[in-house]
Amino acid sequence: MAAEIYSNNVSFTYEHGDKSALIDIMLSIPKGQCIVLCGTSGCGKTTYSRVVNGLIPQFFHGEFSGEQHTCGINTTADPIDKLTPLAGSVFQNPKTQYFNAKVIDELAFPAENMGLSPEEINHRIAEIARRFNIESLLDRSIFHLSGGQKQRIALAAATMLSPMLLVLDEPTSNLDSVAIAQMRELIAQLKASGITIVIAEHRLAWLNGIADRYIIFDNGHIAHEYEADEFLALSPGCIAAMGLRALDLQPYRQRIKALESLTDTQLASTSDTNSSGLASAQHDDAAAAHSVSSPLLSTHDLVIGYRGRDSFSRSIPDLDLCPGQIIGLMGHNGCGKTTLVRTLTGLIKPASGTVLLNGKPVKPRALTRAGFLVMQDVNYQLFSDSVREELLLGLDESDPAIIKRCDQVLEDLDLTRFAGRHPMSLSGGQKQRVAIGSALMCGKDLIILDEPTSGLDRYHMEQVGELLRQLAEQGKTVLVVTHDEELAAGWCTSIINLEHNGSTTNPNS
Amino acid sequence: MHSSSSTEPVASSSQTSLQPSVVATTPGAPICSAVVDGSASKQSNQRARASRTLDPRTKLFMLLVANLMLFFHVSVITQIIMVVLFLIPLAAAGRWKLTMNFALTYAVLTGLGLLDPEALGLPWIHVVSALAVGCTMMLPCFITGAYAFTTTSPSAFICAMRRMHAPESVVIPCVVVIRFFPTIAEDYRQIRNAMALRGIAAGGWELVRHPAQSLEYILIPLLMNATNVAQDLSVAALTKGLGREGTHTSRTEIRMRFVDWLMMIVVLIPLALDIAGVIR
Amino acid sequence: MTASNSPADNTNQNSGKPAKSGKLEVADLITIGVFAALYFVMVCVATLVSTLFTGGFGSIFLPAIAALISGCVYMLLAARLGKFGGITVMGVVIGLFLFISGHFVLSFIASIVFPVVADLIAKAGKYKSKALLLVSYVVFSYGLTGPILPLWFMKDAYIASLQARGKDAAYIDGVFANINTGTFFVSMAAILVCAIIGGWFGQKMMKKHFIKAGIV
Repeated sequence: MAAEIYSNNVSFTYEHGDKSALIDIMLSIPKGQCIVLCGTSGCGKTTYSRVVNGLIPQFFHGEFSGEQHTCGINTTADPIDKLTPLAGSVFQNPKTQYFNAKVIDELAFPAENMGLSPEEINHRIAEIARRFNIESLLDRSIFHLSGGQKQRIALAAATMLSPMLLVLDEPTSNLDSVAIAQMRELIAQLKASGITIVIAEHRLAWLNGIADRYIIFDNGHIAHEYEADEFLALSPGCIAAMGLRALDLQPYRQRIKALESLTDTQLASTSDTNSSGLASAQHDDAAAAHSVSSPLLSTHDLVIGYRGRDSFSRSIPDLDLCPGQIIGLMGHNGCGKTTLVRTLTGLIKPASGTVLLNGKPVKPRALTRAGFLVMQDVNYQLFSDSVREELLLGLDESDPAIIKRCDQVLEDLDLTRFAGRHPMSLSGGQKQRVAIGSALMCGKDLIILDEPTSGLDRYHMEQVGELLRQLAEQGKTVLVVTHDEELAAGWCTSIINLEHNGSTTNPNS
Repeated sequence: MHSSSSTEPVASSSQTSLQPSVVATTPGAPICSAVVDGSASKQSNQRARASRTLDPRTKLFMLLVANLMLFFHVSVITQIIMVVLFLIPLAAAGRWKLTMNFALTYAVLTGLGLLDPEALGLPWIHVVSALAVGCTMMLPCFITGAYAFTTTSPSAFICAMRRMHAPESVVIPCVVVIRFFPTIAEDYRQIRNAMALRGIAAGGWELVRHPAQSLEYILIPLLMNATNVAQDLSVAALTKGLGREGTHTSRTEIRMRFVDWLMMIVVLIPLALDIAGVIR
Repeated sequence: MTASNSPADNTNQNSGKPAKSGKLEVADLITIGVFAALYFVMVCVATLVSTLFTGGFGSIFLPAIAALISGCVYMLLAARLGKFGGITVMGVVIGLFLFISGHFVLSFIASIVFPVVADLIAKAGKYKSKALLLVSYVVFSYGLTGPILPLWFMKDAYIASLQARGKDAAYIDGVFANINTGTFFVSMAAILVCAIIGGWFGQKMMKKHFIKAGIV
């Protein structure tokens, strides 16, 4: 086979799936090309990436028809370990794709499985560590690394056996802009060394200039194929119509900067809420946001942090979180967003300073009662066996007023048809809504969401944005921790960037 | 056997962005043809030598000997000698605090065990000293156990298991346990945070009052998460060749060195002497 | 973060189950490892609780307490795997880690024998019969009796060493008033009762959550 990847009439339906995931895919990818698979959620791009690296049909069972040749191997006829030295894979979730506890063991892992000698393995590790600039990380435990570092390790491990092909399934969904830039660097290097690269992605902007071809999937078919220059020439409207995320993030970044400086001005003149320094076009937003009511939550000389092995502390400029606002919290991973959010919900005590609830300083416990955090992994927050039960958890179920409120919340969040289903059987976005529903039922006024749009396509990201707006209109204070520029620019009324504000003392940067 | 399926190397790969010594990583090149770079492997050998511990198999031997001590109800003197012998490698590995803790505990317990209630006129001390004796009998096992646990890297452990021809069906789950065990604590914390936010079973006392409910709230998310993690791990491991037939090697080389054999003989001596009745 | 991050793609959850080929595949072994880690955590919690409440002789009730809380883990594993060998391997792995952390070597033997029997019992019901799974769980829970064995089988050795230290026979009897055949039976009975309760709870949770959510 001349082509590195050759798919002939590939069709696949998952074992318990109700419809076909892939229908009659015909694709041929020559050596050395960088291909991007994109499309809306459920379009089949992840499924196709699994077909390429042999996981389908060897691990994910179902009905498979057609021919698939990857790097000369017929994936249906030969066992998947034939592909191991030829194709490396990187997956979406940094937390669950490493098999060993230490970095150096993870790098050695593929080589060990192939039966290489110890000298060979150590030699390769040293080389890869140099190339990927992870020498300082070698003896660390992967568990304690940041998401970006974890993905770098994953990429390094995938190249240990000098593969001819790299298959990446949404590698940047959980990464911030700094980590994405680093990943871009690495992919560019790898491409330059001649490796064929297949990336399934939602966030397309970082691949501008690296990708050679774009394959748009839609409901299991290949809807369009574009050469890079064609694709990049498409108008933003056209891209959006295909359900894809933006290719050019510049306008979003500018808007974010504007929102940030707005917030900065507000922070600088906290005593004067209608500061005349606001001359930008976003003045209306600010005025509207601030003229509503007094802040729900304020911080005063707050220093967040914790002691212990990875001690960390950061001073936060005084914040005012008002009802009806959607505040974006941005900054690269590791600058303290999660710590701040946990401090604001009373899960961690502040290192010093105070948090005021409705103008009065309170203990962390009161904050936990007033605020709610929708975690990045919602699975930790769902306890019951039906959506309705979940909403009624901890409440008096015999009270008809509460039942009525529950029905109302279900309707507002478009969950009525799932009322009897087990929360764990729902999709990620639906689970998010259930968590929010439970917060509403508890009467929480502050709702914080931690990276709610990781891995979401345009439509679902917009849905989340609408949900935030809905909550704000109900008078809740909404805080969104995000590195998704499109969400922040499109829906936040103000943005706090922890990197640019406050100072940090952190031994492990 | 694995190089046969790769096609010929890419003709001219522009490696300007890579180090010049990256000859072996040309895509498609047979993976066994790498030139061993002297400096790189020297560095890693140094790393291996830095942790001065015995071969895992020696540690296993020491564990078994500690167990034998229980079988043969050795005398106090033998026990003291053995405990000292067991503590030496622990100290040599740099675990001073642990060594001190064990030494202190053992000293205290032995002291209690040797107390003569009659002389002191406090009859109830018998119970205490009897208990202390019981603990001292178990302590050698714990010491060797702690030594094995805290000074063996996962890589050395797995390598030792494979060298001892443990079946893959035991080796793989062990690797996963080592990998997954530390993350459970973090999961537990997240779940407790989530529970606190929802106002269910917030405090410690609440947990105890409704044990079945608390167990449900904590265990179910934990198990759900575990099944997801298991799937992700499997996917990752398969693409990295875990299920491959044939030998799996290890980056650490474990060898029985002189000090290993020495240690094994040395710990046997007091035991043998005791059994033979020389030490009373 | 879970695999099913994309909202519309539910297939991640259900499609990853290994095929029912009688042999233990790599995916099965990884599942066993994950559940073994969880079971190990349960054992650690049980150790903590039992030492807290019964002092030095806490390990008498260790298997009982562990049996009480580990039902869910066991039942879910049995349901996920559905093939022979899983329970055995989990028992062996747990026993291995317990041995290495310093428990008595005979306990390792117990952690092989009992899990194998438990596995065979569960297999007889094709891993679906609830009654047989419960029995299987009870048998499996006895696999943790290993750490207690020193207390009984070493009793003679213990007494001998006490005598060697010059303790009086009367006082030795006083000490061992607690540890005699009676206690042995009480402890074993406790395991039986706790395992039945724990197993029943585990099966209830299976039905309420895991079956309903489609995990099994």
